[in-house]
Amino acid sequence: MIERAELHDAAQKAFPADRLKPEREQSWKLITGMGWLLLPLSEDAGGLGLGRDASAALHFELGKVLSTAPLAPALLTLQALGAAEDSLAGKTGWIERASAGELVTLNLLPGSVAENALRLDGTLPAVPDADIASHVLVCVQGLAALVPLNAGTVCITERPLWDESRRLFDVALNGHPVAPDLVVARGDAAHDLAHRLHGELQLALAADCLGGAGAALDMTVEYLKTRKQFDRPLAMFQTLKHRCADLKTQVVAAEALLWTRAVDEHATVTDLGALKALASDVYRFVAEEAIQLHGGIGLTEEHPISLFMKRAMLNLQLGGSLDHWRERTGRQALAALAN
Amino acid sequence: MSEDTHLEELRGQVRKWLDANAPKGWRDAYKAMTHAQFAQAQRDWFQTLVAGGYAVPHWPAGLAPGSGRSLAEQKVIYEELARADTPRLLLSFVSTYHAASTFLECGTEEQKARYLPAILEGETWCQGFSEPNAGSDLASLKCRAERKGDVYVVNGQKVWSTMAQYADKCLLLVRTSSEGAKQAGITFLLMDMKARGVSVRPINQIQGDQEFCEMFLDEVEIPVSDRVGEEGKGWAVSQATLSSERGLTLMELTYKMRGALWRIAGLIRSNGLEEDRGVLRDFGQLVARCDSACAIADQFLQNRIDGIERMGDASIVKNTYSRVLREYALLGLRVGGIGEQYRAPITYGDLTTGNLMADFMNSYAWTIAGGSEEVQRNILSERMLEMPREPKNWVL
Repeated sequence: MIERAELHDAAQKAFPADRLKPEREQSWKLITGMGWLLLPLSEDAGGLGLGRDASAALHFELGKVLSTAPLAPALLTLQALGAAEDSLAGKTGWIERASAGELVTLNLLPGSVAENALRLDGTLPAVPDADIASHVLVCVQGLAALVPLNAGTVCITERPLWDESRRLFDVALNGHPVAPDLVVARGDAAHDLAHRLHGELQLALAADCLGGAGAALDMTVEYLKTRKQFDRPLAMFQTLKHRCADLKTQVVAAEALLWTRAVDEHATVTDLGALKALASDVYRFVAEEAIQLHGGIGLTEEHPISLFMKRAMLNLQLGGSLDHWRERTGRQALAALAN
Repeated sequence: MSEDTHLEELRGQVRKWLDANAPKGWRDAYKAMTHAQFAQAQRDWFQTLVAGGYAVPHWPAGLAPGSGRSLAEQKVIYEELARADTPRLLLSFVSTYHAASTFLECGTEEQKARYLPAILEGETWCQGFSEPNAGSDLASLKCRAERKGDVYVVNGQKVWSTMAQYADKCLLLVRTSSEGAKQAGITFLLMDMKARGVSVRPINQIQGDQEFCEMFLDEVEIPVSDRVGEEGKGWAVSQATLSSERGLTLMELTYKMRGALWRIAGLIRSNGLEEDRGVLRDFGQLVARCDSACAIADQFLQNRIDGIERMGDASIVKNTYSRVLREYALLGLRVGGIGEQYRAPITYGDLTTGNLMADFMNSYAWTIAGGSEEVQRNILSERMLEMPREPKNWVL
């Protein structure tokens, strides 16, 4: 049994902290070569059957280096493939190819796609790395299916991002006919699958946020120790120390919730969304303060600290906004806490 | 039997015992009490716990019923106390933790034999550490003790002594020398609160409680045999005193705060705010913050059990709890509206009582007492983040 600590170590070795925003194709080769895509797959499906805290550990470490690789969509769609019904032709082959690096991606925000007589119409927003993916997993009411991205009825458009560490696409489906042998699930099973993936996405994003927040804070503290003004390191000024202490407190407390929820089998999708809301807001706050504490250099392209801020801002939106999750959390708690 | 099975068995025993023995309806009862009656209710609950074997699980085996529990076992007991929403042991807290660990770690055999059993019988200790001009900078304390034969004669003032008006004895830090480093001239004494020259005055707090006292010491004589450690070595003893509490209280309080979220939910409903999305969002945020505070309190204790605590971890737990507690009270006040501005009886000794103005004011006890939020930030930045200290010898 692999311990989570070993995964942290392995990921830190493969993606050292001083190499931010490592090149995408090379990272992807490294990730598939390490066998990380097999981690969450059940042993029946040829994987290692590790819990979701294992995936979270990887997302956490890759968040630290502002990873450009499509690990999150790949791990999510691999779970979908692992849970696929018999309708999916050559399921075993799919899992083998996907865990070896053939990318099936999916949208990280709700789309406008509707199904009518097995034809799909509408647009999926926020689809990562569609340029190097072979298929996109489409989940609509009562249906989950793979759609080849090279089909004539599919049009992909890159949406340039402020966040330079990731690439997102709009995927437009124009009356795309669903191939029966690419159906992953139908009915309740499709609904459950979409629900589960939505929860897993929140956990992945939360882990990415807190890895990034910790790295941005470390970088900031190191900078304050180095930079001198008034004949002393900035890190000696109590006003700056206290701000760093508060950032550390927020990061560590949110991280405690991350690892608690990651192993909590009873956590609802809303519980995971609440975690993501907390984590992304902490990331935003840390990244925002990190630029301020770096002073002028933080505003230059030459210095990488602003890359964390851009990623934090995108993470606030992906998987559902802060307002969305806070409201859902509030409603869930209100319903649970009867007078 | 595996460790987990053992702990779950213990959990079952504690739960069963609490079902039969935990005070029922104490919140309402505490509201109708005088402060002195509250102190008596605390004594009664402590004696019930002593008899049940759950009062001092942290003491070494053989010293008390149910003592000698591992930290993991203590954690289970405190989780169950929080779950059963029992009254917090405010009155006996300094006795069972601070006083006891002082004797156990630094006391003579005579002191242990004389004072430890008495604690179980209800002898109550308070702490005389802080002074009007020695708060965060405790080592600058000035309360003076002069050796005259077999006694020390003490003159000075102490403040923020929790429940000192009911205490029998006091853990007292005094200055026996002004030479050298300020820590070097401090001595640790055990003072009888009935000794001549001791006067205690409860402090009226902003919410109407009298949890803290000030003490005036005028020519108080303390036998030399009631000194802990050597003369001038009291600072080290006080560090043992202050590190006695191992994070259990904060875990208990954090779990209790999580368990008290229904009070905010109740106010949201009774004020017709169930569909107010702004309120729902802020409530959702508070729920997540409470869960996060529970997770870090829990993780902190688990790390201690596993022996992997880092310098500064305790500060993170304290600053998280105290801030979330403030947020809890503030959201309650917001959704409670004008209703919370009408003065209502307070419940002594609790932090999430549902009287939200009182809870709000009481929450400052946690950002100020026990090492203020600002001192915790110093600890965190200097010891955990290793940011440099300011140069010493700075003079105004």
